[in-house]
This record gives sequence, structure tokens and C-alpha cells, in this order.
Amino acid sequence: MTTAPERTAPAAGSASGVLAITGFGVLSGAGIGPEPLASAVARPAQPADVSGMFEEPLPRDDAYALVDFRVRDHLGRKGTSFFDRSTSLGLVACQAALADTDLRVDDGNRARIGIALGTTAGSAKSTSDYSRDTFTQERPYLVNPLLFPNAVMNCAAGQAGIWFDLKGPNATVAGGPLAMLNVLRYSRNLINCGYGDALLAGAVEEFSPHSAWALHYAQADDGGTVPCGEGAAVFVIESAEAVRAAGRRPDAEVLATEVGVFEPPGSGTSFTDGLALCLRRALERSGVSASDVTTVVGAANGMTRLDEAEAAAVRAVLGDDVPRLRVKEATGEAFSASGAFQLAALLARHRAEPARDGELSVIVSRSRDGAAGAAVVRGWSRADGDDG
Amino acid sequence: MVSCLGDLDSTYEALLAGRGGVSELRYGAPDKLNVHYAYGIDEPDGEDGLRLAGRWLARCVAGALRDAGVDPARRRVAVIVGTGLRELRAVEQWHGDGAPMRAARLHFDEAVRSVAPDVTEVHTIANACAASGYALGLAADLLELGEADAVVAAGCDAMTESMLAIIGRVTEHPSDAVRPFDADRRGVLLGEGAVAVVLERPGDISRPPLGVLRGVGLKCDAFHETAPDRAGIVATIREAHERAGVDSGQVDLVLAHGTSTALNDPTEAAALLEVFGPDGPPVTAIKGAVGHTSGGAALMSLLVALEAIRTGQVPPVVGLSTPIPEAAELRLVHGGPLASRPRVAQINAFGFGGVNAVAIVEAGDAQ
Repeated sequence: MTTAPERTAPAAGSASGVLAITGFGVLSGAGIGPEPLASAVARPAQPADVSGMFEEPLPRDDAYALVDFRVRDHLGRKGTSFFDRSTSLGLVACQAALADTDLRVDDGNRARIGIALGTTAGSAKSTSDYSRDTFTQERPYLVNPLLFPNAVMNCAAGQAGIWFDLKGPNATVAGGPLAMLNVLRYSRNLINCGYGDALLAGAVEEFSPHSAWALHYAQADDGGTVPCGEGAAVFVIESAEAVRAAGRRPDAEVLATEVGVFEPPGSGTSFTDGLALCLRRALERSGVSASDVTTVVGAANGMTRLDEAEAAAVRAVLGDDVPRLRVKEATGEAFSASGAFQLAALLARHRAEPARDGELSVIVSRSRDGAAGAAVVRGWSRADGDDG
Repeated sequence: MVSCLGDLDSTYEALLAGRGGVSELRYGAPDKLNVHYAYGIDEPDGEDGLRLAGRWLARCVAGALRDAGVDPARRRVAVIVGTGLRELRAVEQWHGDGAPMRAARLHFDEAVRSVAPDVTEVHTIANACAASGYALGLAADLLELGEADAVVAAGCDAMTESMLAIIGRVTEHPSDAVRPFDADRRGVLLGEGAVAVVLERPGDISRPPLGVLRGVGLKCDAFHETAPDRAGIVATIREAHERAGVDSGQVDLVLAHGTSTALNDPTEAAALLEVFGPDGPPVTAIKGAVGHTSGGAALMSLLVALEAIRTGQVPPVVGLSTPIPEAAELRLVHGGPLASRPRVAQINAFGFGGVNAVAIVEAGDAQ
């Protein structure tokens, strides 16, 4: 099949494809909001005691989890009682992002604002909790989504659309550790092809016995002792050209995102070469050179096979001495949310340190099965303007 | 394409003959599940004891690339897979029977690379029953942005015991067949299978294409997690028309989502009437023949639409005998095929979460 000879799409958002981030919300094990995250990345705190969170046994008693998080404290009681933890975390991050941006949502633009959230497997816990209230529904028509594993996989994005009344494209992107980079890629397409003018884009991961054991077994294979993490980070993404044309100032610009899949790390140099290729492509696409990069936000988590392959790729492209921002020491290993925390930690630091305005950073991610990617980001503080 | 009725040719043939692929449920405990019928693919599990949607997907992707004459080793080919449940069936078998399932299989990278190792990227979009419609929209975007020379848009799902348990719980009387838009419908039954199409830019092909994708509308109701919303559906259809550069009068055929549920069918019928009025184009739907194939649903409907355009035979809605009052003014095709020469077809797909995808395709000789 082919596409149409002249697609009569609405005017594409931007020829350059550069995305602007005009606000963000984050909840991580470091706390709620950008400030605690920036502090924790500078000086990591101890993980929380999670021994009282679940009845099921856990591999260890500590995690970077939001132990006291209750959705009703943020969104009220009405309509929130059935939300699973992933949906709750995602919605609260969306709310924070909307409060943080100077983009005003109203009836004139809500049809042009979409949502794209990354996930590993939705809420693994919800899929096993679905049977209870089928019997309490008088007529089984408007069944709660808790009962539907397939709805659950895209539940957070769907519920966020309902809660904030956003009617643009609504998508759930699966991708584990690469989910956030996949979401950025997806966002670029949606905005540049005119499907929407703005997106709430981010990733969500809940802490559960399931995720704790998954990490435990992965560490048994590959090493590392980082505790599990959880949370969500959501970014308001628009076309950079449109934001600047409106006289607004972005918090950051995502100049390029490149992802690929290679041989799993550890078997020869294919993976390192692949990640290096992604990095070079991203720099090339951004029109910047390796010497312009001031910070690398990596995905290191103590898994030797992956960490060494990642470090070798960064070294090959950027040299030895680019400073690192180590996010997982502050947030734990939060799977798909980890990628979102990398970006959130970078933006949180920019907001806290105006001296870094205009600096160029690179985010790299990788997965155990050979997926890899990189994004190039330029960030600013809000020191001499009022964006929010 | 792989459905309970076989490949595209045999599926289309069965549709024209008004024949569905429903059969007795072959796994799980039908009495406990309160589901006795399904549109299952009659194929044993793999030697590893797993029933993988990825196997059907791999077959479809390989076949689509072969038919299109596209070689991923020579050109940049990306693959976008839409799915509802990914490999949840295999996870159930791992959990229940100890079959060897690995988490890396939950997205379809490995399955696709088993037949097309040179593709540049594989993305899995988990967007419920609209997933392959979303995959198609994204595929068109990648081409438009020059990020690939060809893109395979695909969809797949295998039915799961947990989903069967759910549909058994939400009906008062278990259904024995899917009857879209029928007064006597009793809800949906599950199908399964996979589908793939190759999308290229018009200047890059030397022979007439199967069809031309004019545009895809993607929207979200932002209304209810499981109930469809007429306004959201209407907005998505209008968005599709706008992106395709057609007005409602130019659409000659509609492939409805038509799930045979209490809520979808009247809502979808009302939305179609709002857009097209009472003298609208013929409407058909395929779920009465292949069940609800979830991730594959949108693209399976699309391939059937292209067959109807090619052959001039619009298949009837299998399972429909007495239309619901809300659809009385729709030109529902039932009882037998309709001889007509559609040029432009609209394909509806709506998923839980209020995610809607509507595609507009045109005859392949339109260029």
C-alpha cells in the first residue's frame, strides 16, 4: 500500500522537528516535584522501608518508593477510588506538568492536546486483582477498567485523557527502559505531522512485589544492588518553533532522539557500536559536535555487562571527561520511569542552577535485550522570566 | 493476515459466503469462564508449550514484505506493531504451566527480527482494540518525515484466559456468536490472529499498489474507560476526513468497528448517522466472522475493505439478521454480498481508554 501523493495534513508543526518542553511534573522515590529530585541526584538519600506496603513477600525491605503516596491527597476522593497505582502516579504527574507550564488548556485547544505515556507492562498488580467487583455491579455494562487487563495496559493514558479532558491522540508506548525515548520519538511524529499541538509525554512505573522480584532476578544475572524505584515524570511537549514564535520560553529543547536495537550487551562489540551510532546520529541531527556536550545523563545501575557497554559507547563518541549525572542512585531502578527520571533530573538541575542556562546534555538508555538510544537536550532555568 | 478463517483470501471468501469462524472454546474451563465459544485459530501451541501471537505476526510480516518486494537489507524498513495484550497468553502459560516465557518477548521486536533481522526499528503500541489503526497512522508519519523508506504496519493478539473470564463475567447470557448491529446480539466473543501491510511512498513503487492510504484520524474520547462516546467517534471520523482530504459524500464504504456489544453498536450507528446522514454509504463489519481480534482488528478490516474495492463485492455483516433500531437508517450490508464499486473506504477502530483510530483508503489505481 502507499501513502497519498499529496497528503493534505494540517500544516506540520515544525520543519526542524525540534521539540520544546514547557513544563514538567515528577514524582519519584526522591519525593514530589523537581526540587527534591535535584537535591537527591546531588546527594542521594537512603531508600524507604517498604516492608509494610504489601502482604506478599519481597526480596528486600527497601526501595525508592513513595510509601505514603495516596492519590486522593492530590486529586481528591471523587472518582479516584478505583485507580490502580500506575494510573494514580501518572495522573498526579500529568496534573503537576499542567500546573507547571504556561500553556493554557481551554475548550479552544483541548482537541489538539494528546497524551503519550511509556510503560513496561501497565499495572502488573491490577491484572491479578480484577475479579472482586464484577459481582457488585448491578448491570455489567460500564465495567470498571480494573477488570480489563488490556485496558489496564493503556489505562493510565486513557484515564488521564478523561481526567484532564484532553482529546488529542492518546497512546501507550511499550518499551521498558527505552520507553521514554520511544515516547519522545512518537511525540516528534505526532507534533510534526500535525496530529496535535501539545502532548503530555512521559513514563510511569509502580512499585509492586512483581517489579521488586523482576529486578531481583535481573540483578542475580547481571549484578548490581540498586533498590527498586517507582514514580512518574510527565513533560509538556510542543513544537519549539511554535513556542518561540509565540514569544514563550521553553524549559528545554529536545534536539534529537535516536533509538535502535542491536545484539544484547556483552556479546562482542555490536551493542556498544550500536549505541555509539545512535549517539553520533543524534548529535548530527542536532547540528552540534561532541565537544559541545557538557553532561551525560546515563542509565548506569551496577549491572556490569550493561554499564560497561554504555560507558564504552559514551567514551567512543564523547571522550573520557564529560561529567555524569547519575540518576538511579537517587531514584532506584524504576524501569520505564527511569528514562523519564533521567530527563526530569536534568531539567530539575537546570531549574535550580541558572548558571547552566543553554548547556547541552545527552541522555542515554539501554536495555538488557539490546535496545539502545540517545537524546540531545538543551536546557534553561526560569531565572529571568516567568514561565509558570 | 491470519484469522480463524485462514489467510486473507479464505477469510474474504468466507465473509462473502456469510460464514463465520466461531467454534467451541478449546482451552480454559468453559463452564467456569462462562464462555463456550470463540473465534480461535485451530493450531497447536508451539513446541515450547507457548501460544505466541508473535508467531502469527512473524508469518504476516514476512509475507507482506515478500508480496511487496521490499528487502529490509537494502532499504530502511521500520515495523510498527499494534496490540492489545502483547504476549499475555504466553505469560499465562508460563504462570500456570511453567512454559518457558521470557519478558523480552512481551514486545514484538524478537518475533519481527526472526523473519526480518535487518529492519531498522520495531515499535510495539499497546492501544487496545484500536492499536493497529494507531500503528498505521504512525507508519504513514514515519514515511512522511523521511525516517524510513518503507514501514510495515501490523497488529496481533492471541486470546487469553483472563480476557475470556472477563467477557464471561460481564454478560448475563453467554454469547454463542458475534452479531454486529443485530437486535439479538449478546456481546462480543474473542478472536485472534495477526495482520501486516507494507506502506511505501507513491514515488518508490513500480507497480500499482494494493491501495492508497489517504489519511488516519487519531483522537481520544476523554469520556469513559470502557464506554464509547458518540462525540469522540464523530470527531475522529471528521479528523480522518480532513487529513484524507475527502468530504463525507466521497466515502463509498464503511468498515464499522461493530463489536456486537450493548454499548458500541448503537453509539457507533448514531455517530455514523451524524456524519453521513440517512443516505450514507454501505456499512459492513467483520467481527461476526472473525470475532474480536483486538490488536489486529483495524488492519484486518482495512484489508477486507481493499478486497471489496478490488473485486466490487462488499461482504455482508455475518451474524446480522435484524438491525437494531438505532441502525435502521444505516445501509448495513446483510443477507448477502452487495455488488458495488467503492473507491474510497473508511475503517473504524475504537479501543478501551476511548482511543479511536479511523483510516481512509482509496483504490490502488487512484494515482
